[in-house]
Amino acid sequence: MNLYKSYFNDELETPVLFDINLKIETGEFVAIMGPSGSGKSTLMHILGFLDVPTKGHYHFKGESTEEKLEDDLAHIRSESVSFVFQQFNLLPRTTVFDNVMLPLIYGKTSPLKRRDFVMQAIESVGLKDRATFYSNQLSGGQQQRVAIARALVTSPEVIFADEPTGNLDSASGKHVMEILQNLHKKGHTIILVTHERTTAEHAERILHIQDGRIIDDEKGFTRRIASQIKQLK
Amino acid sequence: MRTKDLLHSALEGLTRNISRSLLTTLGIIIGVGSVVLMVSLGATFERFILDQVSTFSGTTFEVQPKGMEEFGKSTLTITEADAEELKKLSTVKNVTPAIFIAKKVKYGSEEADPMVLGTSKEIFTNWSLKIDRGRLLTDGDLKGGQSVVVVGPKTAEDLFGDADPLGKRISVGERKFTVVGLLKGLGGAMGTQMDRIIYIPYTVAKTMANKGQYVDYISLQAVGSVDLAEEDIKSLLRKRHDIKNPQNDPDKDDFVARSFEQAMDIIGTVTLSITIFLSLIAGISLVVGGIGIMNIMLVSVTERTKEIGLRKAVGARRRDILVQFLVEAVALTLLGGLIGVAGGGFLGFLLTKIAAKFLGDLSFALTITSILLAMGMAVGTGLVFGIYPALRAARLHPIEALRIE
Repeated sequence: MNLYKSYFNDELETPVLFDINLKIETGEFVAIMGPSGSGKSTLMHILGFLDVPTKGHYHFKGESTEEKLEDDLAHIRSESVSFVFQQFNLLPRTTVFDNVMLPLIYGKTSPLKRRDFVMQAIESVGLKDRATFYSNQLSGGQQQRVAIARALVTSPEVIFADEPTGNLDSASGKHVMEILQNLHKKGHTIILVTHERTTAEHAERILHIQDGRIIDDEKGFTRRIASQIKQLK
Repeated sequence: MRTKDLLHSALEGLTRNISRSLLTTLGIIIGVGSVVLMVSLGATFERFILDQVSTFSGTTFEVQPKGMEEFGKSTLTITEADAEELKKLSTVKNVTPAIFIAKKVKYGSEEADPMVLGTSKEIFTNWSLKIDRGRLLTDGDLKGGQSVVVVGPKTAEDLFGDADPLGKRISVGERKFTVVGLLKGLGGAMGTQMDRIIYIPYTVAKTMANKGQYVDYISLQAVGSVDLAEEDIKSLLRKRHDIKNPQNDPDKDDFVARSFEQAMDIIGTVTLSITIFLSLIAGISLVVGGIGIMNIMLVSVTERTKEIGLRKAVGARRRDILVQFLVEAVALTLLGGLIGVAGGGFLGFLLTKIAAKFLGDLSFALTITSILLAMGMAVGTGLVFGIYPALRAARLHPIEALRIE
């Protein structure tokens, strides 16, 4: 794909992404790294069907996404991708259980199976005993784990995480990253957006983005060597 | 999204701020309440009046000088001779003139102020009045100018209490009368007026009233067609009074002739138009209430922008968001509608109870139609005023919505 994205504000064009060419394979764990304002979140939004490119092509699972209508994109979001946000974005005054169930009510899961799926997701992030708590009764780390459970519940192919550790203390952040790595090992494609090198290190491929352009793509052999050297240290 | 999920999320939205939800629905509560109240009261009073009037046979006619109903017109236009001529028509029967006498009625120290009607026996047939004890007026009473009186039960009670009225001597003005008959009560609201009337022979009343040949009222009944009788009565009186009125314009006549059937129709039309008018005014408050709903839904959409963004991010389509907010708006108005129906119904019931103290028999009519009408209007208001905020919510861009703090 080669993507361009501009924001338009009162006919004033603000280009954000230039000629992004990128291919992400199924099952990859990719970190998109860059300073704030570099366009990394915008790239993630486009990849996650929350936004559309101004120009260019994006193929998802071999299928072009250009002609898709908003409701088609909603359908892809419902079936194939999910998000973990920096701000958690849980519904307040709503239980953990209901928060995690939210994506299912827009999908095709039969109401009978929902309970099991929700409980499985909550268990996998280690919050089984908190299922009936209200989301605002939990700590930040727990809230982010609820958000991950919510992202898991539909068993999506791709999970997007936008600065998932940005609002967390280092211990909680580490816990969250471990969960993401486990998900990757189970075969989910993970796309992580971050500006911290240490967070990005968890990924097997790191895309460096600056001023709307990919300036470096560490992956494969070099990336493995780099992380092994790091581990040896 | 499934219906159950929809209702669940709508209820959640509403219960998140219960006092605000209730205050918002106040406009709808008042609107629906007043619609129910107006329609029900209208139905109650229409039924009440028709119940009363239907005591009379629809074929009974009354003929009165125009001045009896319209201020400024002469009350002296109809004569005894008119009544005599009417008797000759083949389309009518039971013709009897009547004279009202405005005099105090006394029995010993007891005083009453009933309507004193000088008339003949036909009036009892025309007005469906039945004798309870004693006898009605007879032709003999009229011929002999007998000082006898038939009393209505209410006046009898006022004058004699529980004592038997028959044979008692009462005075009407200066003249003494012997009570020869007591009528059966009509009951109801009509009864409160009708049961007070006392009846004396026409010939006697004529000498007391000093109106010469003029009479206040003619009562008669149609034989067969009411319309034919009306035509005959009118053309005869116009001919005798030298009135040319081929267009049948009631303004040109110096009399009013109408059947009770027409009177009932008029009452029905009048109460219907009053009900419609009042309901329209009540409907305006529904519109005002609807604007309140729209306002609060817009606030809610703004407050929950982030939630909308999230719902979209996890796969909600535009339609899901639209329906969610529409259901919330309709749930608000439905809630208001239910409270309004209960409140309006209760108020109507109370008002009817109070009115019944003055008017006698009065049963409250809370019709299913009025409830359905009011609820329908409430739901309609929710839909009409909820669609704009819901559309705004549905059109939000997921990223922009999520960015809002």
